[in-house]
Amino acid sequence: MSVPVSQMYTVASYILQQKLRRRKRYPFVLMLEPMFRCNLACAGCGKIQYPAQILKKHLTVAQCLAAVAECGAPIVSIPGGEPLMYPDIDKLVTELVKHRKYIYLCTNAILLKEKLHLFTPSKYLTFSVHMDGLREEHDEAVCRDGVFDEAVEGIKAALQRGFRVTTNTTLFDGASPLRMREFFDEMMDLGVEGMMLSPGYSYSKAPDQEHFLHQTRTNQLFSEMLSKPKRRWKFNQSPLFLRFLMGKKDFECTPWGNPTFNMFGWQRPCYLLQEGYAASFQELMDGTKWENYGKKSGNEKCRNCMVHCGYEATAVDHTFSSLKGFAETVSVSLSGKL
Amino acid sequence: MTLEGWVPQINDYTSLREVVDFAFDYRGNTTVVKTNGKEVVGYIFNREADAPEAFLQLFDEQGDGPFTIPYRDIATIKFTGKDTAAGNSWKAWVERKEMERALRAAASGADRVGRDPGPDGA
Repeated sequence: MSVPVSQMYTVASYILQQKLRRRKRYPFVLMLEPMFRCNLACAGCGKIQYPAQILKKHLTVAQCLAAVAECGAPIVSIPGGEPLMYPDIDKLVTELVKHRKYIYLCTNAILLKEKLHLFTPSKYLTFSVHMDGLREEHDEAVCRDGVFDEAVEGIKAALQRGFRVTTNTTLFDGASPLRMREFFDEMMDLGVEGMMLSPGYSYSKAPDQEHFLHQTRTNQLFSEMLSKPKRRWKFNQSPLFLRFLMGKKDFECTPWGNPTFNMFGWQRPCYLLQEGYAASFQELMDGTKWENYGKKSGNEKCRNCMVHCGYEATAVDHTFSSLKGFAETVSVSLSGKL
Repeated sequence: MTLEGWVPQINDYTSLREVVDFAFDYRGNTTVVKTNGKEVVGYIFNREADAPEAFLQLFDEQGDGPFTIPYRDIATIKFTGKDTAAGNSWKAWVERKEMERALRAAASGADRVGRDPGPDGA
């Protein structure tokens, strides 16, 4: 694991507080979508298919901060759309840093080099760069040639200026474990702090419906990819979540773990499914029929989902729910053996 | 499959609730035809069919809103805007990449044939 100690401490103390308060459901990461506009149209993305007037709209910084306060999660992930196209991204990040929120700014990095001057390096700010594999695979996934090279340039520039940089990789059917292992080497050579992995979710609105992974294939791919992991590979995520992807652990989804806020309100029930919107965070938590989601529910839309926004929160909660879970996490982290 | 262009008639076979659900799932603008004959064009992003007073919410064509319309005020919903999730851009990308690969394969094959001295070394 490559998460800095201060961040681990913040997350651990937050979760322990929730446990002491006996809160059954609590948020772990706020997914804050200031807008849906993007400078790419990736095959596996179901986030940007909206009419023009919606793509032109965005939240104000005040609306974003109100959502952050309402939710209370220690980590704020800013996906989108492409957040570097959000006109007030610098102001938003500055305010979130003031509020001591750990920020993952999820970017395709096309604009990263150009916009770096807007930001100041901080332990609270991480650029989480979308990288779906080596050059050929990545450019194919984002449907545009040259994006891999632009992202690498952005990563290098950010690292040179002292920013925290991680990568986030979505894997689809057809991914080659060997090529992915080469990719891990290449990212570590670049000097990123860590990598995040997740299988893709079969968004009903995504243009490519053929290549989403199903559970057995996900287990197989991640087992092959992560068996005998090199010690130099650093993953910026729970090792238990990676074990879950490899089929070595069985978890249930925590759909409230990564609540999503955007211009429509608080998305029900999770970051991936769009079944309606609540006007407040409390309404989302109290008014959503959570029993209708997750594998056990039998909901067809959840059947093959193993995405980090549903299961990483489960893995982290598991770590802090028992001595056994904690010991397992420490043991895997120290040994490096997944 | 897209619902673009669909003008449903609310009747015994097609309920308003179903049409609102389809419109909520539709990634394009729709035209809400009210019972008073007025029409509102916009993007429906939410609906609460089980609320005490069932309603939908939309942003209009200018992006203003959200506006809330109770189900009881709706006669039907026309699927008038472009379906942005139809996926044509991705299909075009895949076709272009396949064409490029085929051309590359053909070019490298032709190159090999050009350099191949042949069975008699000629």
